[in-house]
Amino acid sequence: MIWRTQSRSARSVVVRRGRAESTSLSSVAGHGLQLVGEDGRTVLGSRDDFRPEPALALFERLRGATAAASSLGLERNSWMELQPLRSRCVAIDDAAFRNVELPDVTRRLIELEHRIAAECPGTHLALSYRAELDAWRIFRSDGTDVFFSMPRCSLGVRATSDGEGKRHGVSATSFHAHPDAAWDPTAERIFLDKAVAAGELARALPDAPSHPPGSFPLVIDFALAKGLAHEAFGHAAEADGFRSSVLARDGRFKAGEPVGATHVSIVDEPIEGDHAWQPFSANGLARERALIVDHGRLCDALSDPWSAQPGGVRLTAAARAESFRHAPQPRMTNIRIEVDDPLPAPGAFEDYGPEQVRDLLADAGVLRRHPRVVYLSGYTGGQVNSAIGDFVFNCKAIYELSADGIRFFKPAIFSGSMFGALNSIREAFGPLRLDAIGYCGKWGQQVPSSGGSHYFLVLDPDPRVRLGGS
Amino acid sequence: MTLEPLLRQLGAGSSIDLRPRQWSIYASETRRVSLGVKDREIGNAHAPYSITEGCGARYLFVWNDGRVSRGNFERRQLEDDPAEALVAARAAAYDDPDAAQVLGPATFPDVELHDAAAAEIAGGDARMLGARLDWLRERIDAWGSATWSGSFGAAETTARLITSAGLETGGCGTTFGWHVTLDGEIGDGHGARGPESTARFEARMDRLIETRKALAETAAPPAGGIHPLILHPDVVERLVLGTLLHNLDGATVEHGEGRFRREQFGGPEPVLRQDMTLRLDPLQPLRSGSYRFSVEGLPADRCTFIESGRLVRPLLDLKYARRLGMAPTPIPYDSDVLHLEGSTPRPLAETCAVAGRSVLILSVLGLHTQDRGSGDFSLSAPQALVVDAEGFAGSLRATFSGNLFELLQDDATRFVAFEGEHTPGLLVHCRLDPK
Repeated sequence: MIWRTQSRSARSVVVRRGRAESTSLSSVAGHGLQLVGEDGRTVLGSRDDFRPEPALALFERLRGATAAASSLGLERNSWMELQPLRSRCVAIDDAAFRNVELPDVTRRLIELEHRIAAECPGTHLALSYRAELDAWRIFRSDGTDVFFSMPRCSLGVRATSDGEGKRHGVSATSFHAHPDAAWDPTAERIFLDKAVAAGELARALPDAPSHPPGSFPLVIDFALAKGLAHEAFGHAAEADGFRSSVLARDGRFKAGEPVGATHVSIVDEPIEGDHAWQPFSANGLARERALIVDHGRLCDALSDPWSAQPGGVRLTAAARAESFRHAPQPRMTNIRIEVDDPLPAPGAFEDYGPEQVRDLLADAGVLRRHPRVVYLSGYTGGQVNSAIGDFVFNCKAIYELSADGIRFFKPAIFSGSMFGALNSIREAFGPLRLDAIGYCGKWGQQVPSSGGSHYFLVLDPDPRVRLGGS
Repeated sequence: MTLEPLLRQLGAGSSIDLRPRQWSIYASETRRVSLGVKDREIGNAHAPYSITEGCGARYLFVWNDGRVSRGNFERRQLEDDPAEALVAARAAAYDDPDAAQVLGPATFPDVELHDAAAAEIAGGDARMLGARLDWLRERIDAWGSATWSGSFGAAETTARLITSAGLETGGCGTTFGWHVTLDGEIGDGHGARGPESTARFEARMDRLIETRKALAETAAPPAGGIHPLILHPDVVERLVLGTLLHNLDGATVEHGEGRFRREQFGGPEPVLRQDMTLRLDPLQPLRSGSYRFSVEGLPADRCTFIESGRLVRPLLDLKYARRLGMAPTPIPYDSDVLHLEGSTPRPLAETCAVAGRSVLILSVLGLHTQDRGSGDFSLSAPQALVVDAEGFAGSLRATFSGNLFELLQDDATRFVAFEGEHTPGLLVHCRLDPK
């Protein structure tokens, strides 16, 4: 038996036009019981309280369902033998979250909105704040008892151009592990830089032309590189999907097979203080680092006690669940692309506009190899079909960089074969930047995701990787 | 589910500071059973047979100082800690005079929302699920698919709406839905208040298998450029209806974040081609999107959002209705109660006979990354079929792009009928770039 208990509380505020559009204080708590019968058949039950009598009634109902499971043809699952674990990892005092005063947050967002609006006239702004503390305690019938809490706080902005004709909207988000994100000077600077850039983009996009479709030499920023790692390789490396993953054959991971350039690796691991940090799996195991691609070859998968053995991979304890109601699935946490011997990119990532990126490329000789390079800036989400290895993701804007100048275009879908993309990575610039955040959907469940790469990656043109159209 | 502890607290049970001047509570309790299939394994550890019991309430409180609180209470707060819940709600109060509206009694339509078969499944009787799974296994094995996945679920919900203005109503409804994906590539499903007939279920699966077979053959890709594309009803629902509803949403209109402006509603200027209409009918029996009353207490009713290409009214809850100075509207809870209408839908073969060799877009990747306010789209179609008057002529992968509002004004856009589908397909002409 695995018994998952969860309590999550969230505080959020949305501000528009100098006033609160909504504020909310919400919580959800309950427990999920996963029973594994002696024949290996599994059933899950959940209830949104902790009262003993209904919990026992649910337990009895589940026992009955387990007994009747064979009539439905339920699969027998093989569970690995595990060592019991007793551990605790509480990252923050929950009083810091309880003490968040929503009127103070509202006033602060209004103040920030005024500052952004002053720099971005002609845009509609919506600012949001969300602070969430997600606490889990997981027990197994082998004596395991782990308790952990995951603090998350984000500041977001949506800027929409105020034209009479076409309107474009651009969003930006920044993350902080502490609920004082709206007041922390460093977080404030990063957020304001992102927000002003979003406002400027929203104003410029309606008049931007469309970029022609095709395969081009590309430079992508760390957020898009996170999208590439996440969509193109992360999902296909999840061991519960090996019967249909392009990275597996007959349900077994193709470990050792070459899938990308030999100077490129992909790593997934929880990073404390990160948006997607989770120190233990939803099955009560310590989450491990997974080297999914080691210098161009498949190495580790994202596995759990049910999928590791059938998939022929080592256990990396990657299971996560959106809530106590959900069955855990192998999922990513913070995923990154690492490139050997990256070239320098001094200063902060935020110091780099398209001109500075062009200068980096020119100094490194990239523009001699490719006189025109297409720079995809900002990540707006992606999707993958891991059965065929097709991925897509979208950017916020496109810049064509050349010695002659810089041309600005509307965003376009970036799609293609995961193998083509990973093989085409040539250079990397700058240190690792791993705070590109988002939410990842799988099997009806949303969990926080994050990741990144070096500031910028250069991809040589590959016919299997395309931009656009429009 | 009991609301009595909270209702007592809202009355004399709390201090004057914690006693709202007006309030509205929409509470619901649900029991649900679901079963997944992952890569042929029915109910494996990642998609188990699941039983869910849950309850909660949405609230609106208008306090004595005029401020409002809106949010959700969980079961624990409703049953054990209503006093603490009120303190928390009060702490989240903010100034929003347009949201401070609590409705009184009204007459609600009779709409059939409860299906006995769905209720039996939600209560734990899985025999019908077992029979359908047996049929599916045999059918798919006989065809020889490499793998398949899916999910089935049924729920029964009891709801109660009660306000300080004297409105009290309630009811019980069910839902049933399923989805199956073949070889991780192409899928289909159905959702309603109850299971469709066995014949309709089997016919839908047979069509999916035929489509999957057609995808196995590769077509010679056309050169990149403007081509006739037929958007499958699934794509129309996600791309076309999704974009229209986003832009019709009262919040989007009021905040100036979408395509449509307040002054265009009720005006003479068409925004879509003049034969196009978008209307809502939530009174149809046993549809997924049907209902009797909204969480705010508005009766369900028929409503037209776009008529003859002209904007009639945005989609408005009480708050945004007041802000825009218009009447609130019913709510499209699901696409099976939305009617996108225009030219008479023609069957696929007939459409292709007129349009010539076309590309049928069965599914898209990347829809959630698009800017719906502008209508610009740039999408990947991992499953597309070349189709002509003779039928399917092989598959291709492509990206396609354009502006949705321009396509919905284009004289060449046509409606296409698909067997078993409520939403029509659309023939459009836009840029396609095969991979």
